[in-house]
Amino acid sequence: MPTLIIDNQSVTVPEGTNVLEAAQQLGIVVPHFCYHEALGAVGACRVCAMLFIDGPVKGMQMSCMVEAKDGMVVSTEAPEAVAYRSQVIEWLMLNHPHDCPVCDEGGECQLQDMTVASGHSVRRYSGKKRTYQNQDLGPFIAHEMNRCIQCYRCVRTYQDYCGGTDYGVLGANQRLYFGRFRDGPLESPFAGNLVDICPTGVLTNKPYRFTSRFWDLQEALSVCPHCSLGCAVIPGARFRELQRVRAGVNPEVNGWFICDRGRFGYDYVNHPDRPRTPLLHGEELPWSEALEALQQRLSELIDRHGSDSIALLGSGRASLESNYLLRRLGEQLGTAAPVYGSHAARDRAARAVTDLAAKLSASLAEVRSSDLLLVMGADPLAEGPMLALAIRQAVRNGGRVMLCDPRPVELPCSAEHLPCQPQELPQLLRILAAGENLPANLQPLADALQQAKRPVLIGGSDLLGAEGSAALLAAAQKLNSAERPCRTMILLPETNSFGAALLAGDGPDFDQLLNDMDSGRIKALLCLEADPLTDCPDRKRLLQGLEQLEFLAVLDHLPSLTAKKADLLLPTTAVAEGAGTLVNNEGRMQAFAQVFSPGEPLRFTGQGGHPPRNFSSTTPGALPCQAWAVLAELCGLPVNLAEIRRELAAKEPRLAGLPELSAEGPGQRVLPGNGASSSVPPAVATADESLQLLVCETLYGSEPLSALSAPLDPVCPHPYVLLQELDAARLGIAADDLVQLTAGGQQLALPARLSSRMAEGLVIVPRLRGTELESFYPGQPPLPCRVEKVSTP
Amino acid sequence: MNLWRDIKGTFQPFWITLRYLFKRPVTISYPEQKRTLPPRYRARMILTRDPDGEERCVACHLCSAACPVDCISMQAAERADGRRHAAWFRINFARCIYCGLCAEACPTLAIQMSSEYELGNRDLLKLVWEKEDLLVDHGGKDPDYHFYRHTGIGVVAPRGGNNDELPPVDIKTNLP
Repeated sequence: MPTLIIDNQSVTVPEGTNVLEAAQQLGIVVPHFCYHEALGAVGACRVCAMLFIDGPVKGMQMSCMVEAKDGMVVSTEAPEAVAYRSQVIEWLMLNHPHDCPVCDEGGECQLQDMTVASGHSVRRYSGKKRTYQNQDLGPFIAHEMNRCIQCYRCVRTYQDYCGGTDYGVLGANQRLYFGRFRDGPLESPFAGNLVDICPTGVLTNKPYRFTSRFWDLQEALSVCPHCSLGCAVIPGARFRELQRVRAGVNPEVNGWFICDRGRFGYDYVNHPDRPRTPLLHGEELPWSEALEALQQRLSELIDRHGSDSIALLGSGRASLESNYLLRRLGEQLGTAAPVYGSHAARDRAARAVTDLAAKLSASLAEVRSSDLLLVMGADPLAEGPMLALAIRQAVRNGGRVMLCDPRPVELPCSAEHLPCQPQELPQLLRILAAGENLPANLQPLADALQQAKRPVLIGGSDLLGAEGSAALLAAAQKLNSAERPCRTMILLPETNSFGAALLAGDGPDFDQLLNDMDSGRIKALLCLEADPLTDCPDRKRLLQGLEQLEFLAVLDHLPSLTAKKADLLLPTTAVAEGAGTLVNNEGRMQAFAQVFSPGEPLRFTGQGGHPPRNFSSTTPGALPCQAWAVLAELCGLPVNLAEIRRELAAKEPRLAGLPELSAEGPGQRVLPGNGASSSVPPAVATADESLQLLVCETLYGSEPLSALSAPLDPVCPHPYVLLQELDAARLGIAADDLVQLTAGGQQLALPARLSSRMAEGLVIVPRLRGTELESFYPGQPPLPCRVEKVSTP
Repeated sequence: MNLWRDIKGTFQPFWITLRYLFKRPVTISYPEQKRTLPPRYRARMILTRDPDGEERCVACHLCSAACPVDCISMQAAERADGRRHAAWFRINFARCIYCGLCAEACPTLAIQMSSEYELGNRDLLKLVWEKEDLLVDHGGKDPDYHFYRHTGIGVVAPRGGNNDELPPVDIKTNLP
């Protein structure tokens, strides 16, 4: 722990800290461009220069390149250092264009800040400025190369950290160019981070282009709702419109970066079809009357058919507080416990995961520092993209990745892929859990597990199911020991699946609800931010059940199918428009703060022109209420989030830390459960000879919120069917052929794609919302199917 | 002594009034009569045009950031040729204090102060002016300044085509 003196202040820092970080610990603002917490230092920009007066090194040094050592005396304010830095800034500005007024970075530009801080205001050099041609980098990133100051941050982020290969530095000396070989969309699903990382305006956010200035945005610390990892994000809103999302910092979860789905999936909040007024049978009515109608209708049905006739449906999209208050409402009405999740298999898998002892679950930070990652039935890029990035960091630190998956899983790093059948996975895990010998073809896996010091078992609840997830946990328990910690990370389908499953406990699941609806016992259904019509795999049966209902009430902020069928629709707020708590897949409770109040975006009310020229005492479209507030009112509780959190923590001992939770900080783990349910499932019979259809999530288009986001439209895949090359050859199918897929009583004509890296005998289709593939559901056992060639293109 | 001061204080104002009875009045009967203003008088703002006749405003938000009473709001938009402009630009003259900080902040010389000061109105909405009401057809005090000729982002001239720019570098050359 070296102790050094910076600007006459003494500071003690951990071994290996550089002087720049030491100065930052003292609260000294050190100008820097190329240094970044996540990327490290390269000493390229020369603006963090300090004068080293005494110690092992002396003279003018780049503070990011010097390791803090005992006895160092450093000055940031020495006249030589100040002059040095201001000259470097002046020199960086030689070729920088005079375009701050039309640059989107203006206001949050590090170069602008440093230039003003160094006092440079007039260009003394009278030579001409260097210029470049720009490239079209796709729908997310705008390129303006003239503004570049050659700090190399983008290349280090894109290539080193994110594993992209299609963007880099070209040219030499005065002609350095940061771009692609030729125009085209950036291929990495983490390309959006270039916007945050570029210290000036070379790489800016294209959907946000010319929309707002940084200082006009309403921002707050929030949690990304687009997968179960719960990355920290900072959404920004203006004129009642969510306009952009930038990465927040949570060292335990996402670090400094987020994926493009999280960054550009925000537009569902501004969706023009979003419910904004309470509707009773399609008629608008005020909130007070809507709540009265709901209460009256429910008590009427309870009087007539008993409290058993009311069913409540929560979801993994709603916050922990809303889901809890739904349960509380059920207790008050005397109904059965709510069902959490419209997809019974996914719900059961999530519940199996919540039983895991919290000491066994890994955070993304632990994934990044692991030395062996065993990915079993998880597709990180599709089900939790930032996990893929965390896996890449583990590989960069010398870790090893082994994939056991029937799908051709892509990762932004090297990995050993062992294709296997979906039904083999739980069996494999069962062998691991029992400590038996693995089959000969998996011997490398066994050897790697033996040598690993900090292994993490990664699974996806969709493919593993409840049994597989439980087996994964049992395997981790078996492999875990005091000297060799073994952790798990299981990806869940929705952002708050963990929280919902935790509240569900031993409660009923959606299959039971369907049975009760079939028998005609259920007369009313209250859905909390749930869309069973899109998510329930048995849509036909559900539709029949809904027909028999006397009353369907929906609280939601999406224009969902269920919301359109609702007798009573109560508009709620999206994550950015309210406050609450989400529990991520490792069991980390994370609070999010309100970014802005709901309202119809000015873009729509003004119809592109100036805002309407009239006075109004109300805001258009401002009626959506936070779901927990609506439910608190229905329960007759005070509308106070802190009080609800205290009550919830008292009722659920595992959520003990909830009242102290704040949107700042890394969040808090739920306490371990009894963890007794990690029983080893029985072996499953192998499938027959016919082709099996597996439905998988994709990076874009599967997740319900981002599927409604316009900025992601250009990258949403079109429906396709993926075949193993050998199977395709047997069926006489070539790539891009039109094939007919027959499965589950449906016939679809789809273009074929081929892969050699997937399991044989398997056919894969992506889950794509709003397309003909919407009726195929992930998280189900594979369906028998038939594939026939129709025509060649 | 105090008595002397009181007597003086009583009669001196009358004397001054009496003196001014025989002088030319400095007041005029506004609004029938109007005073000639100094040429650089700064009353309400205008939006000027560049030498090509295009709107100078690029909707950079600096005026609204500088405005101490928050009376300016706008929305930027992009034209097909890449030019940034104001989709709408609104100023609430009922709130404006005519301090001129917006004109000082304007990096493209779009906002300049004109000598029109007669804005009084009984209808508050008539004091909310849109871009169309503010645009004039001249360049104001500096008619020759053209922001896009100095930016280097290639909207009016091809990239690297302005006077203070080199032509775009050829990144594929091997020459030193």
